[in-house]
Amino acid sequence: MNDTIVSYLAQAPGYSLAVSKISEILGFDATGLVTFLVFGIAVFIVVNVMALVGGLGTYAERKISADIQMRQGPNRVGPYGLLQFLADGVKMITKEDVTPRDADKTLFFVAPLLALVGVFMSLAVIPFSSGFTLTSLNIGVFYLLGVSSLVGVAIFVGGYASNSKWSMLGGMRGASQIISYEVPVTLSILAVVLMAGGLSFGTITEAQGGLPHQWFILHNPFSFIAFFVLFVGALAEANRAPFDLPEAESELVSGYHTEFTGMRFAFFALAEYIEVFVLCGVCAALFLGGYNVPFGLGSGDFIIKNFPAVHPMIAKQIGNVLQLKVFVLKTLALYYVVIWIRWTLPRLRVDHLMTLCWKYMTPIAIFNLVGIAIWIYAFEGKSMLTLMASALSAMAGSGGGH
Amino acid sequence: MISLSSYLIVSFALFLCGIVVIIARKNIIAMLLGMELILNAGALNFAAYTRFVNQNLDGHVMSLFIIIIAAAEAAVGLAIVIRFFQIKESIHIDDAVELQS
Amino acid sequence: MFLDTMFLLSALATLGGALMVVMSKNLMHACMYLLLSLFGVAGLYATLGADFLAATQLVVYAGGVVILMLFAIMLTGGVEEFVNKFGINKIPSMGTTKTYTIGAIVSLIFSFVILKTLSPLFKNYSQADLPPMESTVEDIGVLLVTDHALAFEISSVLLLGALIGAAVISRPRKINGGSK
Repeated sequence: MNDTIVSYLAQAPGYSLAVSKISEILGFDATGLVTFLVFGIAVFIVVNVMALVGGLGTYAERKISADIQMRQGPNRVGPYGLLQFLADGVKMITKEDVTPRDADKTLFFVAPLLALVGVFMSLAVIPFSSGFTLTSLNIGVFYLLGVSSLVGVAIFVGGYASNSKWSMLGGMRGASQIISYEVPVTLSILAVVLMAGGLSFGTITEAQGGLPHQWFILHNPFSFIAFFVLFVGALAEANRAPFDLPEAESELVSGYHTEFTGMRFAFFALAEYIEVFVLCGVCAALFLGGYNVPFGLGSGDFIIKNFPAVHPMIAKQIGNVLQLKVFVLKTLALYYVVIWIRWTLPRLRVDHLMTLCWKYMTPIAIFNLVGIAIWIYAFEGKSMLTLMASALSAMAGSGGGH
Repeated sequence: MISLSSYLIVSFALFLCGIVVIIARKNIIAMLLGMELILNAGALNFAAYTRFVNQNLDGHVMSLFIIIIAAAEAAVGLAIVIRFFQIKESIHIDDAVELQS
Repeated sequence: MFLDTMFLLSALATLGGALMVVMSKNLMHACMYLLLSLFGVAGLYATLGADFLAATQLVVYAGGVVILMLFAIMLTGGVEEFVNKFGINKIPSMGTTKTYTIGAIVSLIFSFVILKTLSPLFKNYSQADLPPMESTVEDIGVLLVTDHALAFEISSVLLLGALIGAAVISRPRKINGGSK
């Protein structure tokens, strides 16, 4: 396990050589500089890829909704309309940047940036693969919870700053929804932390295995429920349907971003789509095995054993790419489910939303937490399927004895 | 070079800012903001002493309790402020004089 | 080097935010500056190697307290009346020069007292070699359920009390009739 992407790259044989070469040329110890530069490049890549994912998210949303409603969807710009999001982006940039006369100018400027900053900060701990994690903080999940709540502040401030009734209602709904749903989400995550024995995404992912029966979702009945609590809570935190009350088109025009035009609106939209990706990634990492690839393919053991001709370093790299693919695949599958839910279920009412959170999901989450604690104490952390398998084999053994 | 005193100076300035906010403002919510600053100054001191003087983590635990108390105080305080606003239609501290006469 | 830069940035955010909380005439802006200041404090915790504290600071303040404050500001309206209901002039709720002068004098007194206490520390403090930073999560977890178990329990009771108390206090009551 690696702490950061830099310590992962430093394992490569050429890295220290290159660092010493650069130090020779510059005349001082360049380790810090190189670390900084590598981090900068990695962060640049991740942020840009994520912005691309956010852009493609809008395309996916329109295409999938069209599919569900038996329409064609965007199909003019580029092959299958794939470049539609670029066209949208150009349109957004060329729009006039309107600031309402009575708006709070400073906060109106700050709010979209705050949303984007909160989401991008949370990307720092997403475990894309065992090597390609920007930094594997040992408080990873906790950090992500804290940072992603900045989006709530941004939504609230955006609603306040535009000084319009729709925006204000949307902002207040958004903030109340986000801080309410943080409770069941945190309790569900706490249950996972209990099972894995660590707050870092690395620990949690390594505690699971590549095959579905080793995932935490099938670890015991309580964690099966906890996954759905977490997923529904994540939907509500990202303001996705059926919980998209803050931006309900039919009631609030467009909620907290009614008054935002051009790039500011694009920032909010981008932040929302990336946040959905991040939350799906969290769900995948916590419950669906994260970047684990079955049969030892991820760590490269499989390739090293069966193809001794391949250099172990290359085998490891192949494993890493496979891990990356598996993680992104799981996340995108969840992303599809999120969009699917949006175009299937009708929107909830505000009081129903709060009732669902406080009267159903929070008690269920507490019940899950206690249940998982008891399970781990009673069965010494063994999973449901392991217990069943051992019981079956014991029965078979005793049957054979008779 | 950062040392204990630099942290203490930061926490000291934070504390003074909190005091000035509490005294100068007449808005109850603004006074609560000042309170948060003061509590943070205290918690920062605990963490700084833990790092530089005795590396046992009791100071961190104390800071955690301070954060917990700040959260509880904010929740109850703001509930009281909202209730006060419902009754008096004001959040000016000089309107809270029921117990004075 | 890296720690020094981080410390300077965090201290700048903390003190700049705190100063703007003092100076700002707009309550909403003051609240946002408080958020900046609290983020700065989280950064300071991170430079002190207190990773768990930094994350807790982010979760509790950014996620909870600041949004609660913003809510309270919104629910109580940002309006400012200069006259109370008897027609007597009120001190403006964001303070005047007079109140700021009083605040400055009080803080001056405080600073004398504190500097008097701290001055031997500034003079005689010699920096020992610091141990490398380690993860504090496990140790804090162990401490919370061993040495500080009683305080932990009491704080949980306190939080429960705060939850119920806040719900009961802010619940709208019927004006005539009702439970009384």
